[in-house]
Amino acid sequence: MIFYIIKRLLSVLVTFFIVSLIVFLMMHSVPGGPFDGNDMPVSEAVRAKLMASLGLDQPLWVQYVNYMRGVLTLDFGVPFQAPGETVLSLLADAWPPSLLLGGLGVLIGAPLGILLGMAAALKRNSWIDYVASTLSTLGLTIPVFVISMLLILVFAVWLNWLPANGWGKPERWVLPIIAYAAIPLATYARYTRSAMLDVLHRPFVTALRAKGLSERRIIFQHVLRNAAIPMVTVFLPMFIGTATGSIFVEAMFRVPGLGSYFVSSISNRDYPLEMALVLMVTIATCIAYLISDIAYAWLNPRIRLGDD
Amino acid sequence: MAIDIATTKTTKPRGPLWFAWRRFVANKAAVVGGIVLLILCLAAIFAPLFTKGDPTAQDYLTQSLAFPSAEFLFGVDDLGRDFFTRIVFGARVSLSIGFAAATFSVLIGIPLGALAGYYGGKIDWLVMRVIELFSVVPSLLAAMLLGALTGGGYGTIIIVAALFGWVNVCLLVRAQVKSFREKEFVRAAQALGATPWYIIRRHLIPNSVSPIIVGFVLAIPLAMMLEASLSFLGIGVPPPTPSWGQMISSGINFVFFYWHMALFPTAALAITVLATTLFGDGLRDALDPTLKGR
Repeated sequence: MIFYIIKRLLSVLVTFFIVSLIVFLMMHSVPGGPFDGNDMPVSEAVRAKLMASLGLDQPLWVQYVNYMRGVLTLDFGVPFQAPGETVLSLLADAWPPSLLLGGLGVLIGAPLGILLGMAAALKRNSWIDYVASTLSTLGLTIPVFVISMLLILVFAVWLNWLPANGWGKPERWVLPIIAYAAIPLATYARYTRSAMLDVLHRPFVTALRAKGLSERRIIFQHVLRNAAIPMVTVFLPMFIGTATGSIFVEAMFRVPGLGSYFVSSISNRDYPLEMALVLMVTIATCIAYLISDIAYAWLNPRIRLGDD
Repeated sequence: MAIDIATTKTTKPRGPLWFAWRRFVANKAAVVGGIVLLILCLAAIFAPLFTKGDPTAQDYLTQSLAFPSAEFLFGVDDLGRDFFTRIVFGARVSLSIGFAAATFSVLIGIPLGALAGYYGGKIDWLVMRVIELFSVVPSLLAAMLLGALTGGGYGTIIIVAALFGWVNVCLLVRAQVKSFREKEFVRAAQALGATPWYIIRRHLIPNSVSPIIVGFVLAIPLAMMLEASLSFLGIGVPPPTPSWGQMISSGINFVFFYWHMALFPTAALAITVLATTLFGDGLRDALDPTLKGR
């Protein structure tokens, strides 16, 4: 087990370096630089000085080594679009709205999805099964900005129940939270249904029924417990997925969060910010998968990690 | 004579395709999805015949932002272009990118999957590590970077979508090849001295047709979503080429007063992606019941 975790951590490190190298090279081969913009034209001499002060005049590999040296001490550099701050402080300011809305979305969507999936599995081929499978197909296929737009059209424009965008008052959070909740709800409805059906058909459930255990106790104490194992493993990767979801949700609902930086860092050639965002999401994804795998083995002793 | 027909009818051998067809037809959602997809494809191909023609022509500037009417089925957009024409021509962009990217995904995925499945060992390890790398990097962020790197545009999106679309095809083909590699007829071919390339081409790939078709069809909606997402963010298909993602992103600015600017591209994208996915899922369940989706 310990060996397995060490091995996986090493592979996370390798992935980190490969991804950072690829992203670094890609970013720097994008035509144009951070001071080519037309909104703030600078003379050739000033630009050279700016580039030198940011170390952009040095050979690429020197820049990469310097950058990675900083990353190891959690120094992600200074974002070009806000030179007075560091990348970390900029992201620290942007991150609460995203975490609040995305977190609430997952925390509301996941339990609802589990309930829906349970109902669908227990009442197979009933109307609730059809509702659950329709909702999960819709949630998993339709892009999140389409869902957001439909929410705005229905609840803000036609019914006029809720404000369409903005930040501050809690009623402005409702629609973005529903948009964030769509994917967890759909994922969990589908996973729970298939996991429950899988467990319900196992012989031990028949044995429990023959023993005369009440259906409720069979479902909650035995079936759900076994079905929960695969469900636990999708939670963290899905939670990380809200980070990329925020790009669209926050653009649609005008939320001042992390999302807008993903786009602005790329269009402004803001290398440090861009690099930090991509690396953070990648690392978070790797670690989420690792924790999920460990949790899976811990919950299900039949799995032995590191055998293959 | 009549008896003959009756007996031949009952004893007629049923091929696996016939059963697959029966399973597919029994799945109503998949049939509806397939019909909608077919209609959309026909609409995209014959777009000039039933629309006002050029989707970029600003012929109705005096009626800018007009609401839907008999003359303008979906209204007019902010730049004086007939919106119905733009939506229909948007299907061309979306579907052609979907099909082209799926084709390239299959072209990359088949050889890599076949090699990894047939040889196993080091090649398999390498292919699986590459796939692992692709699965931890968020595809959207990578696509955004690649889009910025190449300046966006139609061809770039196809390449980027294929770059992330081949993984599924590769995994499906690899699993199929792996399970067929140990079969007797492959052993026999090896014993007769057939080269690995011959065996892959003549035996293993033809036996992987079902997963290849499934991988192809399921890659289409993913590519269409990627195109729409990138165009929504302004780094996809550049204007004035009509793209639904682009129209949605400008529609959000008009949503309160000119709802048609927001509703129609949103509905078009949702319906297309949904129909394609339902069709693909149905095809997967019909062609290979063991792959049945979770």
